[in-house]
Amino acid sequence: MVEQPRIKYLAISKFRGIDSLEWRPDRRINILIGGGDSGKSTVLHAVSLLFSPTNTIQVLETDYLNRSTKEGFSIEAVVEIPIEVGISDHQQALWPWEWDGQKAILPDPSHEGRPNQAVFKFRVRGTDELEPVWEVVQPNEDVVAFSVGLRRKIGVVRLANDDRNDRDLRLVSGSALDRLLSKGNLKSRINKQVSDANISDALLKDEKDSLATLGVAMREAGLPYDLDLGLTSSQGLSIGALIGLLASKDGVMLPLASWGAGTRRMSALEVAGATEAATRLTIIDEIERGLEPYRLRQLIAKLTKDESQCFVTTHSAVAISAATEAALWFMDSKAKIGPLPHDKIANQQRRDPETFLAKIPVIAEGVTEVGFLRFLLRNAFTARPEDHGVRVCDGGGNETMMGLLQGLSEGGLVLGAFCDNEGKSPERWRRISERFGARLFQWRSGCLEENIIAHVRDDQLLALAQEPDGTFGRRMRTLADRLAIKDKDEASILAACGNPERRLAKLRSIIVAAATGNKDGAPDEQTGKEWSKHSQVWFKSLAGGVELGTKMISLSVWPCVEPEILPFINALRATIGDHPLAVGELRP
Amino acid sequence: MTDDEVASLLRSDLPLVTIEAPAGCGKTHQGSSFAMDAASALSKGRVLILTHTHAARSVFAARTRAVANRVEIRTIDSFLTEIASIYHRTLDLPPDVAGWARENDRYDVVAARCRQLLESSAIVAGAASQRYPIIICDEHQDATADQHHAVVAVHSAGSILRLFGDPMQVIFADSEAEIRATLGRWAALKDAGGWGELSTPHRWISGTPELGEWILDARRALSNGGSIDLTGSLPPGLRVLFAENSAQVAHKAIGMSREHRAPISSLLRQSEQLLVMTVGNERVAHLNAFFGRSVRIWEGHTRNHLSALAACIRNHTGDLDAIADGFLSFVYATSVRFSASSHGNRLKAEVQQRCARPARGMPGQLQAIASHLIAEPSHRGVAKALEHLIGLVERKENGFSDIEFDLKSEVRDAVRMGAFDVAADGFAEITRRRTFSHAQPPRKCLSTIHKSKGLECANALIMMCDRSAFSGTEYKRRLLYVGLSRAKEKLTLIVSQNNATPLFNVPG
Repeated sequence: MVEQPRIKYLAISKFRGIDSLEWRPDRRINILIGGGDSGKSTVLHAVSLLFSPTNTIQVLETDYLNRSTKEGFSIEAVVEIPIEVGISDHQQALWPWEWDGQKAILPDPSHEGRPNQAVFKFRVRGTDELEPVWEVVQPNEDVVAFSVGLRRKIGVVRLANDDRNDRDLRLVSGSALDRLLSKGNLKSRINKQVSDANISDALLKDEKDSLATLGVAMREAGLPYDLDLGLTSSQGLSIGALIGLLASKDGVMLPLASWGAGTRRMSALEVAGATEAATRLTIIDEIERGLEPYRLRQLIAKLTKDESQCFVTTHSAVAISAATEAALWFMDSKAKIGPLPHDKIANQQRRDPETFLAKIPVIAEGVTEVGFLRFLLRNAFTARPEDHGVRVCDGGGNETMMGLLQGLSEGGLVLGAFCDNEGKSPERWRRISERFGARLFQWRSGCLEENIIAHVRDDQLLALAQEPDGTFGRRMRTLADRLAIKDKDEASILAACGNPERRLAKLRSIIVAAATGNKDGAPDEQTGKEWSKHSQVWFKSLAGGVELGTKMISLSVWPCVEPEILPFINALRATIGDHPLAVGELRP
Repeated sequence: MTDDEVASLLRSDLPLVTIEAPAGCGKTHQGSSFAMDAASALSKGRVLILTHTHAARSVFAARTRAVANRVEIRTIDSFLTEIASIYHRTLDLPPDVAGWARENDRYDVVAARCRQLLESSAIVAGAASQRYPIIICDEHQDATADQHHAVVAVHSAGSILRLFGDPMQVIFADSEAEIRATLGRWAALKDAGGWGELSTPHRWISGTPELGEWILDARRALSNGGSIDLTGSLPPGLRVLFAENSAQVAHKAIGMSREHRAPISSLLRQSEQLLVMTVGNERVAHLNAFFGRSVRIWEGHTRNHLSALAACIRNHTGDLDAIADGFLSFVYATSVRFSASSHGNRLKAEVQQRCARPARGMPGQLQAIASHLIAEPSHRGVAKALEHLIGLVERKENGFSDIEFDLKSEVRDAVRMGAFDVAADGFAEITRRRTFSHAQPPRKCLSTIHKSKGLECANALIMMCDRSAFSGTEYKRRLLYVGLSRAKEKLTLIVSQNNATPLFNVPG
């Protein structure tokens, strides 16, 4: 296995839509996510421009920020270069910097033996003349040319998202196929073969006659004669560009370039991977393009196994859930790239990968809250929430959710959160709340069930026990169990709740306990286990959450909780540019 | 050791091989042929040959031309200076390390800092060793401790190292202690890796082979602390003339009786080529007078006085007093009979008074020189003043007719410097041209032994071989050996019996 080059640090300045960006990517797979036009593809393009295997790249005015060519653009990377690349063979001596974990620094002769790593600094600048200039920045800030030869040795394999990208399947200089096959003068050998082909055999008699007539005319005009047809090379058109990989399909040899996008892209990677002892950086824009989920998973598994550094963008939940080993990065609308730390988001990545792709993910504490919020937000925006990119996601419980919220918000995502107040970790919650503002909803105390049930009128308490199919039995049974009575009819339960003055208060607390699966006061462990399952009989399900929302309306609880919840809804509305709602305006 | 044995030792797998190479025994041939083979076998990187002089650099370049893209030949100063420039910010050196080191002669500082960097940073040493997997050092005995350890640091990072040198040619040390330290480093190399010694005197094969063998014997005697026996029969090619310095103050001049002088004069007259060697620049001046200025002085490849002048100009352009002092020091050092009392003080006074009072004759001419400096207290003014002075000397104007410029090359280069817009650029360019032109000494010339090191010729003369020139120190033993080993055909020694050197065993 050859060692691979790795970008430790990337800085982009005034390139396309990016004014200024700094990024320290992971050494393996980097998956960039983020909203449309956030600049993810620009980052990938910048990396491929920096290591472009050809000098004949045209820089356009649109490559400059605000089309202002005067200020130029610059793309700079600090890169770990393995011996295999052969940087020591470069015509001019290239000297390393040291990597201190954050940046390229100069070696300090007064500190002996620090195990720092050697890195090199490369840069491509767009000049005000629309010229790209590739440079190596030496430790004394002198620059020397970053030659096309060295760039090819580093070897970018780029699968761009444009439809006809098959560069790496053709014998173009520096392409994956070229790196795989070309030993010495392959192209001149091909040229010779093609020139030797007898093309004039293809001519019909008429056509041959026309050629002969032309020959006579030329001879009379004192011009060269004895004419024939054959290969004539021309400037700008290389034989390599016309030679590409063919594969047999039903017995016919077809160019791989004419296969589907997915096959083309996968093939290009295979070609690059088959080149032994060649280093590479892999760049894949929209990795899901043209690939069914199973092939997408295959591709990600392959990249994961591969040791080379990759830069990938995606909008695919499949890709995100499959990329368990990858570093996920979120690029926000200000072109800032933030890390989504693996330890905090891995569960969510598996449970609900779409969380990362929503415009406004709203993390709800558990399944009940998801159902409840989906119900509550149905009418909260001008269009349906999903049409605005608002997605209510299950945060997997109070503790897990806290880490997830920290992770996502540090990465730069704009998101909402809806959770209980268990009274634990007040300091961490305070910090999250500072960051989120009103987009974090947390009950003043207790959980969703508690807060809704608290406002149900006494005479309607048992209406909560009615399931959507109209039956009462299962929920009444849980109450009877908790009261340790046999019968589960209304009268028996009320009777078991003690004397008439305290009876309804007791009933309410028993309902809350059952709905939340509270096992306090259970006579033994076995009973406690059963009690904790009561919540599922009540509202602890997606449908249960919706039901709780419906009951909140039908039992006239909404006006009681509206003042507490409305700021949260208005904060979500604000993220998509909707004006705030006044009390009474929202009709869930 | 035979040449073949040395060749195969060089090509062995040993990471370090040291070859002791007496003068004229085919070291350059061994080094360059090994470099060619090694370069052809290299798959990555290149062979680095480190020399101490530009002359040696071009000899190696000529011999390895066939693999020029795989061999890099540098002086060790330029190699270390390159690394120091790249990392100048962390080494606390100015950005233009090369210019700074050249003008202030601080290659020692560059080497010291570079050594520290290479020893402390595995990354920098590693990068150097990847680029240069094989390093050949020529004349390694001339490496200072810092230069040596800098190279060893790259070797420790992985480069194969091949050292050539001769502990009997250590003549650039500042003290006996330093020589002993160098000899200590050399001896330590014996145990550190492979060790070999060249022993075939190739230089003399086409000339006088017996002289070559005799010089190897003499080298052994000098090396062992003994003396060279001149009492018995001498080999063909060697001639010993006994003569005494009759000058009144023997360390300030050389004079001789007619019969002592006669054979020397006739040798000089009859030789088509003759390299006259002596110890020290002062003795060169004495001999210059002794020969009536008929033999040109070989100034070698260094321009010490020009360097000092360039540094003065760099630091003091616009400061008239300092520029005038720099100008005067330069003229004092490169000419004779232009002294402070004869010309300098008056010139300085004219500068200070801005040529206020009209003067005629010699003072008037000094005023004219001063006015160049006043008008342009820079390299241009200095060049014009010098040109003016040269004109006066050439035309033998009154008061200037006795003056002679001994160090003509230094003076010529200082005038040239005036043609550049920026003094430092001019100095750099002149240095560069000299570096690549590889001027050869005149056929008959007068040189210090120091400046003759690395030269070879048919005929050479060493005078005076007396106790003042060659006491018994380790240093003088080596200086004598370097002098002895220059001539391929005829070597003449002018030996004193009254003030005999302990290095020769002379009859009665």
